[in-house]
Amino acid sequence: MTTPTTKNFTLHSKTIRASRRNFIKGLSLAGAGLIVGLPITACANAATANKNPSALQPNALLQITSDNNINFYLPRSEMGQGTYTGLTTIVAEELDVHPNNINVIHAPAHDDFTNPDYGLQVTGGSNSIRTHFLPLRHLAANARLVIRQAAAQQLKLTLADIQTDNGHIVINGKTLPYGDFSDDANTLPFPENAPLKDKSQFKYLGKNAPRLDGASKSTGTAKFGIDVDFEGLYRAALKRCPVYGGTVKTFDSSAVKAMPGVTSVVEIHNGIAVIAEHYYQAKNALAKLNIEWDLPETLAAFSSDSSDSDNGKGLFKTALDSDESSNAFEQGDGLEALNNADKVITAEYWAPYLAHATMEPMNCTAKLTGDQLDIWVGSQSPDLAKLTAAYYADVPKDNVTVNSTFLGGGFGRRASNDFVAEAAAIAKASGLAIQLIWSREDDMQNDFYRPAAMAKFNIGLNKDGLIDSWTVKRAGPQMMPYVLDNIVDGFMPSFLPNGMVDWLSKMGYSLYDSLLVDHSSVEGLYEDYDAPHKSSDHVTADPGLPVGAWRSVGHSFSGFFKESMMDEIAAQLKQDAVEFRLKHLTNNPKLANTLKVAAEKAGWNKPLPKGHYHGVASHASFSSFVSQIAEVSVENNQLKIHKVVCVVDCGLAVNPDIVKAQMESGIIYGLSAALHGEIILKEGVVQQSNFHDYPALRIHESPDIEVVIIDSDDAPTGVGEPGLPPIAAAVANGIFAATGKRLRNLPFKLDS
Amino acid sequence: MISFELNGKTVQLDAAPDTPLLWAVRDHLKLKGSKFGCGMGLCGACSMLLDGESTRSCILPISAVQGRKITTIEGLGNPNMLSTLQSAWVEASVPQCGYCQSGQLISATALLSKNNNPSDKEIDNAMSGNICRCGTYPNIKKAIKQAATDMQKGNGRLQMVSHFDPLTQKEEV
Repeated sequence: MTTPTTKNFTLHSKTIRASRRNFIKGLSLAGAGLIVGLPITACANAATANKNPSALQPNALLQITSDNNINFYLPRSEMGQGTYTGLTTIVAEELDVHPNNINVIHAPAHDDFTNPDYGLQVTGGSNSIRTHFLPLRHLAANARLVIRQAAAQQLKLTLADIQTDNGHIVINGKTLPYGDFSDDANTLPFPENAPLKDKSQFKYLGKNAPRLDGASKSTGTAKFGIDVDFEGLYRAALKRCPVYGGTVKTFDSSAVKAMPGVTSVVEIHNGIAVIAEHYYQAKNALAKLNIEWDLPETLAAFSSDSSDSDNGKGLFKTALDSDESSNAFEQGDGLEALNNADKVITAEYWAPYLAHATMEPMNCTAKLTGDQLDIWVGSQSPDLAKLTAAYYADVPKDNVTVNSTFLGGGFGRRASNDFVAEAAAIAKASGLAIQLIWSREDDMQNDFYRPAAMAKFNIGLNKDGLIDSWTVKRAGPQMMPYVLDNIVDGFMPSFLPNGMVDWLSKMGYSLYDSLLVDHSSVEGLYEDYDAPHKSSDHVTADPGLPVGAWRSVGHSFSGFFKESMMDEIAAQLKQDAVEFRLKHLTNNPKLANTLKVAAEKAGWNKPLPKGHYHGVASHASFSSFVSQIAEVSVENNQLKIHKVVCVVDCGLAVNPDIVKAQMESGIIYGLSAALHGEIILKEGVVQQSNFHDYPALRIHESPDIEVVIIDSDDAPTGVGEPGLPPIAAAVANGIFAATGKRLRNLPFKLDS
Repeated sequence: MISFELNGKTVQLDAAPDTPLLWAVRDHLKLKGSKFGCGMGLCGACSMLLDGESTRSCILPISAVQGRKITTIEGLGNPNMLSTLQSAWVEASVPQCGYCQSGQLISATALLSKNNNPSDKEIDNAMSGNICRCGTYPNIKKAIKQAATDMQKGNGRLQMVSHFDPLTQKEEV
């Protein structure tokens, strides 16, 4: 892992030297992965990750065993968003079996479980349901058909005689389990075009049902990465440089080795690890380590303390005001059109770096036996975890087994595998089976943060008070170079020297710095509203703090920026905020509809309790459409959010209760950020460390939330993230209605 | 040697007296239901009942629990034998990622054991020490109210397991 910086970045060689003898496989995986999607149905004899000889197994995802187990290998990670229940329900519907009767197994890292949209085994982008909806239905429908065909053949009946119910063949009221026919079904050609059910026939899809992981997660029996344990497992804690990218110059561990339980002290690529019998022993001993660091220059010189005279945003402001920029989108005459505007309205907004703060701190268990490596981890990218672990433990990729667990929160954080790299390196260096556990402080201070962002809008209006030109420029770090840096180790051919791998991982940075705009840098800033002329630009401003995907990615700031801007325009024109938006949503009918329904449900323009005000925001993301109306009051600079009405169009809601929960979840996660979230650096050191200085919303701050799901016959779209982007603006716009004060910076500071 | 009652069974621990209860239970006694979240008593993921009160076990040394009664999530029920609160939890699909939920259930159990008809404000007070990053708060409120209703009918139980042997992982009802 290395530290890219805006200018004059220096190369830091990895201290670990791993060979990459397995490079050809790596290359072919990288190459093929980009184009090969998940097979809708595979032939029954395909080599798979988990071949069961005594089962009907059309592909790696589904097994109907002759001893009557129906196994579904969950290809996407369950981190709270509900794939465990949702994807299983999709299979259950077309297979005609109650979802409770399917055994759900977390898929290991394997090509068979690739996410077809990304060519990698990645869970993110709110795409699990929408990308698997049709393939899983076809898979299950075809499996049900071949079971019926086998039953017809075996029982000498016609196919029409063979009905199904809850995992059983039904003939004249007599039931026989599917498993009785799986061996025979295996001898038949696997069908390719079994008809899918009509919506009117759905038994499980679109219905509310308890989550399938509810009981295990309500009894402490669900297994997370941190719960992995076995005989001979030691615990490790790691001390890293307080400034990201720094490396060990010298260290003194003499005081550590005598500490209770301490087994070993090892140096790895980014710090010194203490290994002990128990975690608290390793953690306590860590404090006794003396380490001198080589600091990365650029980041160590950066402070973002918002008490600074330039409000800590100088780097971003300078970039924003410079002539430098890369165009990401243009429509009509773009910026030129501003010259013809009747009136131009301008505003600037800011959103800080944010930590993910998943409830389960990062952790990974690694056991190296000879050159066989076992990894246990809750990851959003198990295949990248595998490549990373192979590189850092210096073993061939095929020798790595990744055992997947539940994730105690992801929100994008567990797409990065820095903690897997550490665990693999510690296992290699120590020769011990270890579980690396991050403290909360480690977690808060070594994140891949939501990129800070500053944006300036210039909105040109025509003489009728309609938007003629929508122009926006955003300054901030880009995510892609850091993503590339994260994965490049695993993909590079082993004949390349490490220095060159480092150089290549830096190339992503130079490439994106000068040539490319990562779409997540500008997404959501310009798309939603009608305007004849549009332009969206980006300029990189980046002190070198690592950044990554944070729930809803670019939309996490653009939703706030764009919807605050829209409110400012309406206010300046003295127009109703809902009406003004609707005038510009002719080409965005689904978003318009959610807005109309939200206004109706919330009683927009109807009397509210004394001192209560409404704020509205609408935003489309991850192919879904969400409008929110927040009811707020401000008394003595104290903000209270009483209620949020949230209307979502996400196509068919596979499990409406889970959709509702995800909207609530996005709102509450977004409110934590809007009210409290801010990562501040002093000389490159993250100042926040735990929940006292990086607070999360607690139950007493959580508003009443009413969720309305638009009834839809369309295929499902995203729900894990789209609930988040509008909420900060809905509240800020409510605060403006209450106080006349326009809050353009996150998090909200009412007394500033 | 420190001894205390864990889920109805007396356990003896040969560990340093300043060992945090959370790690004694997770690492020494191998009960993994209680979670590590912050190590500072701020998030509530590690909550256990100490003589019936919801307590942050990550900052509680085992020397402080000598001779006292500790109940963890394993002492409330199991997937086949859910307590009234756990049933309400499952029915309302409260958990999302699930990591904080053991602590949430411990705090909710402590609340309902003293008050079987809590107001919104009382729920907020009892539960505000437990952070959930997934934002399951609306469903937590819903489930607590459902369980309170069940308790008022007199057919509820907050603890299905009277004895849980951490060594054998066997339960007695």
